[in-house]
Amino acid sequence: MKIRSLKNLTNAHNDSIWAVTWAPATADRGALLITGSVDESVKLWKGDELELDRTNTGHSLGVVSVAAHPSGTVAASTSLDSFVRVFDVDSNATITTLETAPSEAWLIQFDPKGEILAVAGGGSGSVKLWNTNNWRMEVPLTLPQAEASEGRSSEKHSGSGKFVLAVAWSNDGKRLACSTMNGVVAIFDAVRGKFLHTLEGHSMPVRSMAFSPVDTRVLFTVSDDKHVHMYDVESRSLISAFSGHASWVLSVDVSPDGSCLATGSSDRTVRLWDLNMRAAVQTLSDHSDQVWSVAFRPPGGDGVRAGRLASVSDDRSISLYEYT
Amino acid sequence: MGYVYIPVQNSREEVRVALDQLPRDVTDILDILKAEQAPLNLWLTFAREYFKQGKEKEFLLILQEGSSPEIDEYYSEVKYDRIAILNALGAYYTNLGKVEQKQRERESNFISATQFYNRASRIDQDEPTTWVGKGQLLLAKGELDQSYELFKIVLEGQPDNVTAILGQACVQFNRSRYQDALNLYKKAMQIHPRCPASVRLGLGLCRYRLGQVKKARQAFERVLQLDPENVEALVALGVMNINTNEPDGVREGLENMKAAYEIYPYCSMALNHLANHFFFKGQHYIVDQLMDAALASTDHLRNKAVSYYNLARSYHTKGDYTNAAVFYRASVQELKDAQEFSLPYYGLGQVHLKLGDLKTSLVHFEKVLEAHPDNCETLKAMGIIYLQQGRQDKALENFKKATKQSPRDVDAWIELGELLVSTDVGQALEAFKIAHNLLTKNEDPVPFGLLNNIGVLHFERNELEAALQAYREALGEGIWVEFSEGRSLSLCREGALPISITADKPQFEQLEEEGLSLEVPGEKVTVLFNLARLYEQQYETQKAIILYQLIVYKHPEYADAYMRLAALALARNDFAASHELVSRVLKVTEDHADALSVRGNLELKADDWLKAKETYKSVQNVDGNHSYALLALGNWNYYAAVRGERKDPKLEATHLEKAKELYQNVLVRKPNNMYAANGIGIVLAEKGIFDLSKEVFTQVQEAAAGNIAVEMPDVWINLAHIYLAQGQFALAVKMYQNCLRRFYYNTESHILLYLARTHYEAEQWQDCKRTLLRAIHLVPSNYTLRFDAAIAMQKFSTAILQRPKRTADEVRQSVAELKNALRLFSQLSGVAASHGHGFDQKKVDMHVEYCKHLLDAAKVHLEAAEREEQQNRQKQEVARQLHQAEEARRKAEEERKQQMERRLREEEASRLQREEEKLRNLMANWNTRKDVDEEEENAGEKKEKKEKNRKKKEKKRDQFLEPEEDVNYNRSPTPGEEDEQDALAAAGLLAESEEEYLRREAPPAKKGRLRRSLYELDDGDDTRRRNTTEEQFVDSDAENPGGLEDSDTEEQRPVKRRRGKQTRVSESDED
Repeated sequence: MKIRSLKNLTNAHNDSIWAVTWAPATADRGALLITGSVDESVKLWKGDELELDRTNTGHSLGVVSVAAHPSGTVAASTSLDSFVRVFDVDSNATITTLETAPSEAWLIQFDPKGEILAVAGGGSGSVKLWNTNNWRMEVPLTLPQAEASEGRSSEKHSGSGKFVLAVAWSNDGKRLACSTMNGVVAIFDAVRGKFLHTLEGHSMPVRSMAFSPVDTRVLFTVSDDKHVHMYDVESRSLISAFSGHASWVLSVDVSPDGSCLATGSSDRTVRLWDLNMRAAVQTLSDHSDQVWSVAFRPPGGDGVRAGRLASVSDDRSISLYEYT
Repeated sequence: MGYVYIPVQNSREEVRVALDQLPRDVTDILDILKAEQAPLNLWLTFAREYFKQGKEKEFLLILQEGSSPEIDEYYSEVKYDRIAILNALGAYYTNLGKVEQKQRERESNFISATQFYNRASRIDQDEPTTWVGKGQLLLAKGELDQSYELFKIVLEGQPDNVTAILGQACVQFNRSRYQDALNLYKKAMQIHPRCPASVRLGLGLCRYRLGQVKKARQAFERVLQLDPENVEALVALGVMNINTNEPDGVREGLENMKAAYEIYPYCSMALNHLANHFFFKGQHYIVDQLMDAALASTDHLRNKAVSYYNLARSYHTKGDYTNAAVFYRASVQELKDAQEFSLPYYGLGQVHLKLGDLKTSLVHFEKVLEAHPDNCETLKAMGIIYLQQGRQDKALENFKKATKQSPRDVDAWIELGELLVSTDVGQALEAFKIAHNLLTKNEDPVPFGLLNNIGVLHFERNELEAALQAYREALGEGIWVEFSEGRSLSLCREGALPISITADKPQFEQLEEEGLSLEVPGEKVTVLFNLARLYEQQYETQKAIILYQLIVYKHPEYADAYMRLAALALARNDFAASHELVSRVLKVTEDHADALSVRGNLELKADDWLKAKETYKSVQNVDGNHSYALLALGNWNYYAAVRGERKDPKLEATHLEKAKELYQNVLVRKPNNMYAANGIGIVLAEKGIFDLSKEVFTQVQEAAAGNIAVEMPDVWINLAHIYLAQGQFALAVKMYQNCLRRFYYNTESHILLYLARTHYEAEQWQDCKRTLLRAIHLVPSNYTLRFDAAIAMQKFSTAILQRPKRTADEVRQSVAELKNALRLFSQLSGVAASHGHGFDQKKVDMHVEYCKHLLDAAKVHLEAAEREEQQNRQKQEVARQLHQAEEARRKAEEERKQQMERRLREEEASRLQREEEKLRNLMANWNTRKDVDEEEENAGEKKEKKEKNRKKKEKKRDQFLEPEEDVNYNRSPTPGEEDEQDALAAAGLLAESEEEYLRREAPPAKKGRLRRSLYELDDGDDTRRRNTTEEQFVDSDAENPGGLEDSDTEEQRPVKRRRGKQTRVSESDED
């Protein structure tokens, strides 16, 4: 288990890059890297040389999140203006524009089957769901009021704590996790649309989460408290806690084989964690500013042997690594 | 058994006297001697015998009788024996004088001795024994040179006079000419091979002094062969043996001493050495006894000093410092100076140090140092005294010298290191490391303390790996190794958290049940704590937590571990856990000042102001000097002063004053407290005394930068605030950005807000917006940031729309921004209703309305701009044409001028030609040649003049062009473009803007009103920010940054420059 820097593309955008994801390979092409930046653009990149495929405009204010449909043909991006733009990956044709007003749209994720797009609903304290067939909004999953502000009397403004930042689907599509500014991680039964319980352990913003692709019970969360937590979502127990980052941990992704974890942090590093040893095995310092997002390339596509990991940063660069 | 036979007068009979049975009453003998008119040498024999038996009185009586005038008369013929008696008396008194200490009696003895010798000389002034005696007297008096001369006189007469030779040897020995003395002793031996053992003793001593230890030893051993009971030889051998410093040698030496003691229990030297031995064996009572004996038996000053010293030392080790001091002083009194024997001075220094009398102690140590300037122990002792007296530099100097003198002295290095810790971490570390190396080289155990110190210093220098190594070495094996390696890190069973930050007793208990030893020896706790602290620094929080918990599991009284756990919980925003941990400390120690302080902090975080204040006050009750509590109270007052929407100026002033007082209080106690200084700076700034507060902040910043352990981002922020308040926006921006990057990994949204504020004040709307977007991304739940961003966008749009001149693109951009602003405001208007984020619904709605209104207006503006753009293009076209015409005209003019010139030149040429022709015509006429020459000269001159003129004109043209080009650069960054037409076009534009400038001097009323309403909106913005941040002292209400003024100067500048050039041109015209 190892990652090796392949390329650091500087000035990939004109401003900080906040989001990265991979559009899976299709029959016609390999996987594409999609990045979103404060410069209001979304860019698509090809191959190991990170050749710019296209630049999508249409967002005002910074792009906060990008997500790709498992089919690889559709992707979505959100920005600070709270619009969700769904577009065709290959033609950039706008499929639909979703609005979550008056609340915000923060991180977004398609479910593993590609039937539903989940959008972290910011101040609404809920996760908004759209059916990808007709782009109709379904009943949102709302955090119970008591859970959102539980034991945090110190929050000066009611509601600021339950701001929903991130969402994550379990690999079987049965569970959906959402996390908030005050560290609450809530687990929903996605099939029945029911709130199940919360996971204890963080008291600071949880900005990113990822389910294990091999064990649907296992959820990884990262927080401003500099920790990575590993939970069993069914028993609500904290399996392990990883420390080592010097500042906020901003994003997490699990390797496709489920044996490794990559995290990006405000401390400008990307760390690789071995889940068997439960320890950091590598620290990469390609970036010179906060690393806002990391993403492993999903398996599949022609002529693809080794895995890839991408990271993006406030330093306007994209880093590509080989994962073996 | 010897007998002396006294011949009976006038008969052959003799009286036999057994020498060991001399009559007790000496008069019996005297009577016999007198009655029988015994030979004088018998008198002497008896006297000597009495002397040998220690009966000095009898000895004296016989000799006095034997030297009385009657005897002189009676035995007047027996010169030699008379002299011998007198000389014996002389020698006796010489010896008395030699050992006498009282100066007067000493003198009188010497005088008596002199008198006897003089009498002897009168009998026969050539008698060598008298000379020898006199020589010895002088030797005893210490008049070495004269004594030597006397012996020399004897030897001139009798080269083989052994006594004289020995006398000379003695002189030489005393003159420290050991080689000479040795030679003399040798000579004496050659002459008199069977001389007494004591001669060999002299030989041995000389050799000893000369460092010929082996030969000296042989000499002493020979003495003992000849005289097994020779105490001096035994002692000398003993000293030599002891000085070998080898166990066998020392043992043998002690045997010698013991033998000497048994033979002659009054030899102080042997006693002293024995005492020394028993001292080290810890048998102090023997020491005391021996020394009493020694003191009673000797008058030798130095030996007495040693004896007193031994006694004192014995008391010293028994802890009886007062008595020790008494005897040390007694010892010192026997000595001339420390040069002679420095140990009692050292002892006195030590004892006074123990008794706390640093000054006296120092005086004595100084004396030792005078005698032995390089003595390491003394240097160290003095260093410690200086340290206690607070004379750091002196102490440092001493320890440095000590380590230089004995670079293998571990203690000195450790002391030096500890001394340097507060001033020079690097050198301190170096010293500790040397100590460490010395210990490892000697395979001595390295104390934890030293390793711990090395670790701590590495830690302070941020050399975490090295620190880790030191701590590990200090800790050795134990359960912590497992924890450090990450093994056993998760103590978890199914259904339990791996490590709760509040203690995990059951899990530890389970581990113990499983047979793991969790023992933490008491002396290792601190090192373990430091290791945990190190993990904390490496962000290995999990390891740190488990180590802290191990500590409190085994040592529940170790409050610091609880405190760190509480701090870790606090860092994670886990207030409940933090509170619980602090409470646990307070349960054990009710008045734990630090724990109380943390509790105060927690209460403040929970917005429980009164409780926090109470808690801080209670800390003060516990520990009035607790500067943290004072500081916290100061902060409390400061927050109280600037807090709240309903500000009461009077209350604010009192709170500020109180805060200042508290900060000053801290500074009085700890003049180096940066936080208190920072507080003072804030209060000053709050009062508007910016220059002074800037000074304070700058100093604090410098101090903090020099200290690795201290991180004070606050002071950077405060400095930036000052820059902002003083309108030095660029500096403020730089400062905020540096602070953000250096201390917060760019994650602190408050600083981003300050940064945005600075951009706002500087009217850099786009920068302001981008900064706020970044802040929103960090704290998306903070809606005020969105509000601010919307304001920035609105401002940007208005600014562009108000600009008298803008491109259609700019207007389009401003419309887009306006739309964004509108969207944000609308969104806020939506959430404001449901959440109440602290801003006024009405105000947001007002902004929404305003933006809508502005959007409508913008359409007009856009059209206007597009029209204007069109017009501009046309105007430019016109100007271009005009310029072309002008250019054509100028070209024509130039052409004309050139033609003129050409014509002139042609004329000139033709004139010259004519002249030439004329010349040729007049060739024959030689008289007129001179005139022609003149004329030619004139013509040349004229030509030159003309050329000059032309050059001038060209210059003029250059200068005309210059300003135009200049403008060109200003307008569009296309340097190198030399197209005259472009330059002209630019000039045209310039003229136009000048026009406009004039027009704008009386701005339309409508615009002014608009502006004012904008400001009103801003004011609302300002007060809100005041609530959320501590940027309070930045007062921006007062100034009105009039955008008009600014743009005026911008437009004026090129105009002015052009005028300047013009005047210069006219000047050059006048030339």
